[in-house]
Amino acid sequence: MSDQDATRPDETPRDETPTTRLRKELPQEVPAAASRAERDEESGEPALTGRQRLVQGLWPPRVSRAQLIVALLLFGLGFGLAVQVASNSDSGNALRGARQEDLVRILDELDDRSQRLEDEKQGLEKQRQELENSSDQAEEARRQTVEKERQLGILAGTVAAEGPGITMTIEDTKGTVEANMLLDAIQELRAAGAEAIQVNGVRVVAGTYLTESGKSVSVDGNKINAPYRFKVIGKPQDLEPALNIPGGVVQTLEKEQATVSVERSAKIVVDALRAAEQPDYARSSSQ
Amino acid sequence: MIAVLGLVVGVVAGLLVRPEVPAVVEPYLPIAVVAALDAVFGGLRAMLDGIFDDKVFVVSFLSNVVVAALIVFLGDKLGVGAQLSTGVVVVLGIRIFSNAAAIRRHVFRA
Repeated sequence: MSDQDATRPDETPRDETPTTRLRKELPQEVPAAASRAERDEESGEPALTGRQRLVQGLWPPRVSRAQLIVALLLFGLGFGLAVQVASNSDSGNALRGARQEDLVRILDELDDRSQRLEDEKQGLEKQRQELENSSDQAEEARRQTVEKERQLGILAGTVAAEGPGITMTIEDTKGTVEANMLLDAIQELRAAGAEAIQVNGVRVVAGTYLTESGKSVSVDGNKINAPYRFKVIGKPQDLEPALNIPGGVVQTLEKEQATVSVERSAKIVVDALRAAEQPDYARSSSQ
Repeated sequence: MIAVLGLVVGVVAGLLVRPEVPAVVEPYLPIAVVAALDAVFGGLRAMLDGIFDDKVFVVSFLSNVVVAALIVFLGDKLGVGAQLSTGVVVVLGIRIFSNAAAIRRHVFRA
């Protein structure tokens, strides 16, 4: 390629004098382009353009000292380029080329970041614990409420109940049993710790009233007929003696020619229900 | 043509061999590559101008590489390695761009 210097007949002095060696290093492109333009226009013979020189340099391949040396250097460049690109694109070795101060800075940033994340994690864990506690408490409160509802339901007669107790049957063939006798029986059972009572399919609760209605008795307005069958849940060992004490319910009834039988039972089912009624006037004063 | 072949063979060899870069050379290799690229663009431009000289090319190539590496080395020793290598890359990049502009004028006449 260097021999092309000789093929140019008339050049400006700057281009053919030894200063040409500097020109490669100095970016004086504008004058060079201008001079080339002049040359192309002025010189009669066909001067080589840059493109033609490029084509000449590329083809046909010529083995010359210059070509070999340049090839060697370019081999080195290509090799270094490829090695650098390959080592840079290894994700695992992203920090290998980094400088010490960069590494220290990166380490500091990572420390700060992990510290921040640790703080955040602690905060979130605390929050989670609080939420778990509160949900536990809510669950416990709900469970207690359900339990209480069940107990109160037994008292109010809105749910069925079962447990040990007694069955008392009063046979009244002569029609001599009156409402107040049944009320006495109920009072006696309550005093002995009866927890749930039903009489002939009518649940007996706090507000239950008994009235005379002709030859028979009404419980809460429901007419019931003999035989009167009491199902009572409570402690059988307390209930039975309470009815049988001398001068008690059983004796009073038998005095009126009624037949009374009392049986203990390990399982009594009180399944007569009352509708839960919202009181019209009474309001809870506890809240 | 042989020069271009040399470049291609070098890239292929570098990709195939994948040598471990010694830790001592590691910080200087990228700068050296950029410096060598600058020299190659300068040489290509000189060839298009018709003033290519292989001796000049060899000397400028090697001196570019060595000086660039030396500057970075000095910067590392002074504690301004990162800034100085940035500066070197900027300067070399400007030169590469101006050379590329000259080459473009030759090849595309625009």
